[in-house]
Amino acid sequence: MRLPCLKPWFLACALAPLVLGTPWSAVAQETDSGFPTTGPLSGYMDFHFNKADGEDPVLDFHRFVLLLNHGFSPRLRFVGELELEHAFVEGLEASGEIELEQAYIDFLLSRPLNVRAGMLLMPVGIINERHEPPVYNGVERPFVDTVIVPSTWFDVGAGVHGELGAWRYRAYAVAPLNAIEFTAEEGIRGGRQKGSQANVRNIAYTARAEYRAIRALTLGASVWTGESSFAAPRLDTGVTVGELDARFRRNRLELRWQFAQVAISDAARLNDVLERTTGVSPNIARTMRGFYSEAAYRVWNAGAPRDLVAFVRYENFDTQFRMPEGFVPLKEFDRDAWVTGLTYYPDPDLAVKADYVYLRNQSGLFPNRHLFNLGLGWWF
Amino acid sequence: MGARAAFAAILLATSPPGAAPAQGPAPRIVEVTAERFEFWPSEIVVAHGEEVELRIRSDDTMHGFRIVGAGTNLLIPKRGKGYAVARFTGSQPGRYTFECSRMCGAGHNFMRGVLVVRPAGAAGR
Repeated sequence: MRLPCLKPWFLACALAPLVLGTPWSAVAQETDSGFPTTGPLSGYMDFHFNKADGEDPVLDFHRFVLLLNHGFSPRLRFVGELELEHAFVEGLEASGEIELEQAYIDFLLSRPLNVRAGMLLMPVGIINERHEPPVYNGVERPFVDTVIVPSTWFDVGAGVHGELGAWRYRAYAVAPLNAIEFTAEEGIRGGRQKGSQANVRNIAYTARAEYRAIRALTLGASVWTGESSFAAPRLDTGVTVGELDARFRRNRLELRWQFAQVAISDAARLNDVLERTTGVSPNIARTMRGFYSEAAYRVWNAGAPRDLVAFVRYENFDTQFRMPEGFVPLKEFDRDAWVTGLTYYPDPDLAVKADYVYLRNQSGLFPNRHLFNLGLGWWF
Repeated sequence: MGARAAFAAILLATSPPGAAPAQGPAPRIVEVTAERFEFWPSEIVVAHGEEVELRIRSDDTMHGFRIVGAGTNLLIPKRGKGYAVARFTGSQPGRYTFECSRMCGAGHNFMRGVLVVRPAGAAGR
């Protein structure tokens, strides 16, 4: 599904604040001093020890992230996030990456309507927009938020966000995924264009709504949809990601639940085209699905540095959930995992983590895995 | 916004748990939670002429609390370190935006809310 006729909307959205008169008159009435303002510098870091059975242990400075911000005025603000992954860059993702994960301008117009343009986080799921280590339990992010929702999922685009009563929303037009980079194991993850000379012959759309009528409970729903086969013009590969989630926190107890599903249209032809190109069928599914449930309890609740959380999480995720006709699912990619561990907060912005992961798959050929992880993450 | 906000009398302080509030007639107390990247509640309705005491507690890091156009700003202590107190009198009907004024992460700009001062006789709080 191609939507070239909507490109002017995409542009109009980005430029709207430049022509809207009303908010600007409000700016003229601003009396707050202190603008323009830059900084302070902030960021987060994530340092891991990973040990999988049968493998050598690994120490990895996984993420070193700096956040930059500037306020041109109370209503015009810039935020940027520059990330160095795996502490070293040598051209390929496996050894390290520098990523511009966020760099946007916010035009803060009113509570119900604000405009954002630039490099954006896709508003999909619990983790993608809040992926800093003290925010989630476990040394690594949930598998569902890695394999089904490919966090950190970011790309260029523009859109609106705001609040209406107990509802919060974000809605963006963004660069699409590149379907020829999809894989059987990691789903759509490889298809992220990451705002790097992104092809926008087709535009994708994403939105999220959160409902928060009571203090303890947040309900969320997200969608991302776009035609993603620009790199193979004869294909018509549409991708839709749908997601539901809930977070509940009361006293010492915190519960999280998330469900996500990816639907890929024309997956059979996508596999055929890629097989003719590479000689190997990528065996991409037409449906991928995952969910998780997590329960956490603050066993020590006297405030940092006497702050300790125990948690257990069950995840089920399958990147071969429904195959196109004529393709057989690879059962090693039908996986589930139990993750249990502790998160200790010597400071609310510093998390010391330990967890154990039992990762299973439905294939009789590939062994289940036991992993032990330690992590140190901080945010300032 | 700025001109209207000037009509609102605001007393700001940061208090440890249990600290005595400033003297004066007892205001209505509103418990506010701040966490990355939202305030809850994010819409607080105040009757015309009513005084409210906002007790703002963080569930994570140190945030800021600023009422746009009012020239008021205070820090909200980190989780478990007490709460901040802001008093607000709805002297003039209108909508007064508040926001986090301390950079708290990449979603910092989402942390906004509004104090709605309803005209006398208007229903709904």
